[in-house]
Amino acid sequence: MRLEISGLTKRFGDHVVLDRVDLSMRDVKSLVIVGPSGGGKTTLLRILAGLERPEAGRVHINDHELHFREEYLREYRKRVGMVFQAYNLFPHLTALENITLPLVRVHGVPAAKAREEALALLERFDLAEHAYKKPAALSGGQKQRIAISRAVAIKPEFLLLDEPTSALDPEYTAEVLDLIEELHEEEMRLMLVTHEMGFAKMAADRMLFIGDGGILAQGTPEEVFEHRDDVRVRQFFEKVLKY
Amino acid sequence: MKDRLKRCFIINEDNPVLTRGARTVNIILVLLLLTGLFWFGFSRLNYPFYWDTIWKYRVSFFSGFKLTILISLFSLALSLAIGLVSGLAQSLPFVPFRVLSRVYVEGIRGTPLLVQILIFFYVIANALGVNNRFIVGIVIMSIFSGAYISEIIRSGVESIGESQLETARSLGFTRGQTYRYIIFPQVISRILPPLAGQFASLIKDSSLLSIIAIKEFTMAAREVNANTFSTLESYIPLAVGYLLLTLPVSALTKYLERKYSYAS
Repeated sequence: MRLEISGLTKRFGDHVVLDRVDLSMRDVKSLVIVGPSGGGKTTLLRILAGLERPEAGRVHINDHELHFREEYLREYRKRVGMVFQAYNLFPHLTALENITLPLVRVHGVPAAKAREEALALLERFDLAEHAYKKPAALSGGQKQRIAISRAVAIKPEFLLLDEPTSALDPEYTAEVLDLIEELHEEEMRLMLVTHEMGFAKMAADRMLFIGDGGILAQGTPEEVFEHRDDVRVRQFFEKVLKY
Repeated sequence: MKDRLKRCFIINEDNPVLTRGARTVNIILVLLLLTGLFWFGFSRLNYPFYWDTIWKYRVSFFSGFKLTILISLFSLALSLAIGLVSGLAQSLPFVPFRVLSRVYVEGIRGTPLLVQILIFFYVIANALGVNNRFIVGIVIMSIFSGAYISEIIRSGVESIGESQLETARSLGFTRGQTYRYIIFPQVISRILPPLAGQFASLIKDSSLLSIIAIKEFTMAAREVNANTFSTLESYIPLAVGYLLLTLPVSALTKYLERKYSYAS
């Protein structure tokens, strides 16, 4: 996966969240974005998901440039899998329907085939027994795994995950990370915002440290973890790796 | 003894649920109190009841009752359509539609139904040459009730969290698909209870149509009263008749509220 960003700027009112961000990366398999809260990680991911429009700047992913017009973005979003921190499953649909609805309505897959594919996915991720349950009857870990299945089911070009384990009880974190790791091993291209540093180190082949509206460090996980020139990066890692 | 009385009449943290028997005792007690109050009132009034004169007019009451039910049902259907269009118009991209819908809702909700009926009947219907009072009555009640239903629908749609809309967007749903597959299925169950409540109001509010001489239930009672001068005998059946209609609707509302409060 190729990612080229230049001059990317995003403001919310007077608050500049991303300030003229430049980035160039090639052959990315899994990119993990870390950094302090409020530093702009999620905003960057949301721009890459086509959910947020920047005030300025250009974004190229693989061989296409993002055009920030609704008509283009809607088509673009169909090719991108997005996983949210709070799972965001549709509460009135069963696990299975959560997966099949976008397949049938957005991607035009025949209902029977969509069902078959969704059931196969659920089977693979050990979720088959929950296919006919509504989200309210599922644990956080199960909900997030179903949300990931929904994002994967559309066979996306790449998968974006916004702090997928932050809303989970600690006991459920592992099952979700296992699933992401499995996808990673199957060569699914990933971009992931996370606070799980251990997982980041293991799963990332590239890492970005975002804070104060810009990229403070980038490279392989080792390079970023050892990047102690910038005092902000050093302090952040000292804090999160303390215990 | 004191404890048993408390358990029968007081709901609090120590006694969160009443037994069925205790509930019945409470209901009987209240009914007895009300009966006593009315008994006292009527005995002081010394009013001679002539129920037999009223009985002769039972056909008139009954046909008025029927007309009230008919007007309410037709108005319910039409006001649902109006409310749906108006409620959805408030999130249309084309701004004049939003404004129009807002003006309609605020205008209707902010003015007395009595004035609306008079203006609509004597000005608008007259100018359009519509003389069928039954139809005019239904249209007026629908326009009136539609404004409230519009608000019920709008608040229902707005109750669907931003995160769900965003998820739908991220999955590539169009606006129309989001409404059809995500918003509506959830909104319908949420707005059924307030809609049922609105229907109960509609039934009662239709009594105002009597001022333009539509022979619905209230008009029937007014006519009987004018013919017999038996005021209370004319109006008490009216109250009972409306209760017969609104109590089931109110029970339905409660049932729907319970059903959907667990479901979500």
